[in-house]
Amino acid sequence: MASFVPRSPETLEDQRLYTEDRLVEVACLDCLARVRVKKNSDHQTSVQWSAEARSACQEFVRRDAGPGRRDVHKPCSRLMASIDDAVRAGAVSVGAYDGY
Amino acid sequence: MTDTRLLDQGTAPTRYARGWHCLGLAEDFRDGKPHAVEGFETKLVVWQDSQGELNALDGYCRHMGGDLTQGEVKGDQIACPFHDWRWGGDGKCKQIPYARRVPLRARTQRYETVERNGQLLIWHDPQGSAADHDILPPELPDVMTEKYTPWSWHTKDINGSHCRELIDNVADMAHFYYVHFAFPTSFRNIFDGHTATQFMESKGRPDTAGGGYGDENSTLKSVATYYGPAYMINWLEVDYKGFVTEVILINCHIPTGPSSFRLQYGISVRKPEGLDEKTCAYIAERYTESFGDGFLQDVAIWENKVAVQNPLLCEEDGPVYQLRRWYEQFYVDVDDIKPEMTDRFEFEVDTTKANEFWHAEVAENLARMAADGETVGH
Repeated sequence: MASFVPRSPETLEDQRLYTEDRLVEVACLDCLARVRVKKNSDHQTSVQWSAEARSACQEFVRRDAGPGRRDVHKPCSRLMASIDDAVRAGAVSVGAYDGY
Repeated sequence: MTDTRLLDQGTAPTRYARGWHCLGLAEDFRDGKPHAVEGFETKLVVWQDSQGELNALDGYCRHMGGDLTQGEVKGDQIACPFHDWRWGGDGKCKQIPYARRVPLRARTQRYETVERNGQLLIWHDPQGSAADHDILPPELPDVMTEKYTPWSWHTKDINGSHCRELIDNVADMAHFYYVHFAFPTSFRNIFDGHTATQFMESKGRPDTAGGGYGDENSTLKSVATYYGPAYMINWLEVDYKGFVTEVILINCHIPTGPSSFRLQYGISVRKPEGLDEKTCAYIAERYTESFGDGFLQDVAIWENKVAVQNPLLCEEDGPVYQLRRWYEQFYVDVDDIKPEMTDRFEFEVDTTKANEFWHAEVAENLARMAADGETVGH
């Protein structure tokens, strides 16, 4: 059951454009995590994780097991470096298309 | 077919979010009297029993609908003012003084309660599940000790808006310039499981007499996390002319109707070393005032805007669609939660272009004000 229901079918297409379009798969160079990435500019990055990737990330596994309160983990530096590599290699294009 | 962009105002949900909701400071419910709290389109009654536990029930007696919040605490129970039916914190009717026996079906809506960081939280779930203690907001070390100022707690009723408007702010970079008069120089979001976080660094605008965010002498480092749908902890490091203060801001709400909610916010400041109590209290009050002003700036927008289900975004905007996808998890049955609602998502906003433009605009404003002999009215 959807909760906030759009009235227009075009809204569903907007939702798809903003959340799914142009995501490119990038594999971490240090572990088995595979995420989906979009870069609208040099400084903008979207990273979409899956549950599988989240549990494959060794950095997050270590942090989850660490002491202290549950915290919101900052991005994994190894994955971010892998994304930079993928951008340099041209696997992830940089630039937006009409705001998404 | 027109190419004019149409606003889809959508249809608001017919239920209220599943999760922990804060009713206020626990201390305020401890006077042995019943307390009324508006929430979830009804009224709740909250009272303390003889063990010191806080209890929360639906405020209307299942007998003839009497208002329990106008009743009396008798022993551990809340007694209805209409016919003296006595209700326990477990939701069961314990006693009807004039009756031979209590009907077996005499059970009312009960909310599980927890005290966290000096506040009373209740679990709300339209499906009636047991409270999930694994997703409570974290305990804040040292808060409620002599190291921090006591909570300065405030309430504001918002009418004419669904509480999702408040949530949208998590992903809204540009409104910090226009509504809160600050340059957001760095802005990131992470949504993961039941949490949604905004990381922001900002500096106040010199051309406005701003409140919390907008003081030109202050730089903010802010980490704000929603733990579930209605309770946010905002850790703020405020650098005011080189003097750094740690501020904790709680921003929570209870939905009261389909287009109304009660906003509550509380502030506790780590007492700077070497300052006396009076000065610490003064600093805490100033921050409370200025962040309170910040909320009022948002309220002015909410009270006049319309709901929009299909926001049109530019490249400088934050991930509103992903944030709403995250928020949706609290409004669907547990079995209907889709992986993408809880899967981790990271987003960094490119603030370069926006700040270039904003700095130029502010410089122009200052030049015009200088020419007109105006001053920024602090």
